[in-house]
Amino acid sequence: MSAASRERIMARVARATASRAGVPHPGALATPAADDAVDAFVKRFTSSGGEVAKADPGRPPGEWLTGFLRKLEPQVTGVAVAPDVPPELRPGLPEVAAAQAGAGVSLAWGAAADTGSLILPSTGTRAVQLLPPAHVVWVPDGRVFARLEDALRELEAELPAAVGLHSGPSKSADIGRTVVTGVHGPGRCIAVLS
Amino acid sequence: MPADMHTRIRDYASRSGEIIREDPGVREAVTGATIAFDQKRLQGYSEVDADGWRRWAEGVKSHTLTHLDRYLAGAETQLEANGAEVHWAADAAEAREIVMSLAARHSVKSVVKGKSMVTEEIDLNPALEAAGIEVYETDLGEYILQLLDEPPSHILGPAIHKSLQQVQELFTDRLGSEPGGDPDTLARAARRVLRDAFIQSDMGITGGNFLVAETGTVALIENEGNIRLTTSLPRVHVAVVGIEKLLPRMADLSGFLQLTARAATGQPIGCFVSLIQGPAAHPDDDGPEAVHVVLVDNGRTDVLAHEHAWEALRCLRCGACLNACPVYRQTGGHAYGYVYSGPIGSVLDPGLLGLHEAMPLPFASSLCGACEDACPVRIPIPEMLLEWRREAQEEGLTPWKERAALKGLASVATRPGLYRLAGKIGSRLGATGVARALPMLGEWAADRALPQPSRRTFRELWREGIE
Ligand code: SF4
Repeated sequence: MSAASRERIMARVARATASRAGVPHPGALATPAADDAVDAFVKRFTSSGGEVAKADPGRPPGEWLTGFLRKLEPQVTGVAVAPDVPPELRPGLPEVAAAQAGAGVSLAWGAAADTGSLILPSTGTRAVQLLPPAHVVWVPDGRVFARLEDALRELEAELPAAVGLHSGPSKSADIGRTVVTGVHGPGRCIAVLS
Repeated sequence: MPADMHTRIRDYASRSGEIIREDPGVREAVTGATIAFDQKRLQGYSEVDADGWRRWAEGVKSHTLTHLDRYLAGAETQLEANGAEVHWAADAAEAREIVMSLAARHSVKSVVKGKSMVTEEIDLNPALEAAGIEVYETDLGEYILQLLDEPPSHILGPAIHKSLQQVQELFTDRLGSEPGGDPDTLARAARRVLRDAFIQSDMGITGGNFLVAETGTVALIENEGNIRLTTSLPRVHVAVVGIEKLLPRMADLSGFLQLTARAATGQPIGCFVSLIQGPAAHPDDDGPEAVHVVLVDNGRTDVLAHEHAWEALRCLRCGACLNACPVYRQTGGHAYGYVYSGPIGSVLDPGLLGLHEAMPLPFASSLCGACEDACPVRIPIPEMLLEWRREAQEEGLTPWKERAALKGLASVATRPGLYRLAGKIGSRLGATGVARALPMLGEWAADRALPQPSRRTFRELWREGIE
């Protein structure tokens, strides 16, 4: 049935498009690119409710993260850490399942400045990115793209099964037009720049 | 829904009157929400070269639609290469059958859904429920409506016609929430129920904002994170996507993600975007083991073949035209009687359902042009409304009252400057004035007084909207 429908739909589409002059593709959309992508990312991400933390260059990053997570409100005791986070970036806290964790720790593939987005591949396990109330994301050095379009062009060559763009905390204004955060996804989204 | 929806469209005028007379809170809530959305859109547009972006987006969409056979075939090939299964549904019944057979094949007992207009269009939930499958709408607004058993009244804010107090009462009644809870408390109550549903459900069902042909990517935009959960936790993901949702390349997606968000809510991008290529393949990926994409025609090829209406297929379902529309603001979406309401519904529904099924929607407009100015893909809605009206007249579909109104309108419409002015004057008259100025609404507005208290609120809000 689906196969017959495919032929029928395709034939109807072909007939309809044949009767009309083709419109050319207008090419790339020219959007501005900030000179300082990191600075532009921080501005955009924080204005959408995201938070940015800077790792202390004087301490081992994993140790710094442990201290940072301990200071979060409410205090994080158990964390869920994505498997692709390298050993030196992992916090020294007990690791628990994502559904029980106070925070999830991920490694971004990169970030986009113009939209203020963290780019998260599904290989970093999605539960870590979505279930804990706070999501803490390492952004590797030199991986902040000025424009989302540039990032997507590069990502295209190595697309995983799914990619999430996270550009702030989970939000809804469906009840009484009041904004509430942390509705389904993480209520706090924290980008860590080294 | 569709079967009885058709008859509901026919009652547009009387239903509008009923909503305004008997449920004045709806007009108040819808007007307030749409004006707020519209303001945010204006702000969002002002931060970028909105005219340039809109022209570009119009071009990409028109290009795609005039080469749609090529892009559909490309998307199918790429999705299959990614390990996803592609299904084709000629109409709503076939789309339902496909999803039902997938549910059977994957032994599905419980489904979580992301907000999707096309699954409303194909009336999927009742079919799933009839088969004993539990269905959870997970968008907060949709969840509220599911508890109330109501269809969505706005593309973006499905429950914008509900007040805080109505949600409080509903949640106390159905979820045992403390009476008078604030939005935060209420959202937490819904989250508790839905979090369990996400974890227990076997299948996630979503729509799709875009389908990128080059990479076989289904792109989904949202703010709550429920769609990311819906496409990530259950072992099966089904995306039901209209055939008009294609985009040629990944590079096009970036502009569309941004423009859609700016048009809808003024945001630079949705808080969450999901880009789905196929089932999980990497050992560390905890995503679904099966991904199905159901491509739905259900009248779209008729629209594509139509000389004028085809341009409506560019629609991104952003809701900007609804928010800008002085007629929609009076009633919200329920009056229209079909899933696609407001200005876009009035031009799309006649194409999808057939003109005579969609009467009198092409007349539900003052032709003020606010919709076209708001539209991110520059769909010439007022022009298309006039085309449908002309066709309706040719086919003898307009009853005498409408025809008389049409005649008066036609004499003004022949001078474009004048009809725009007529629309603008109409909008400055406030609720009663707008209603009187509208050919269809005029009929009931003429002999029925409108409720005064909300009229004042409307005027106040209206001023906010135009100044
Ligand atoms: S017609 Fe334009 S403004 Fe209206 S929903 Fe579609 S894209 Fe948005």
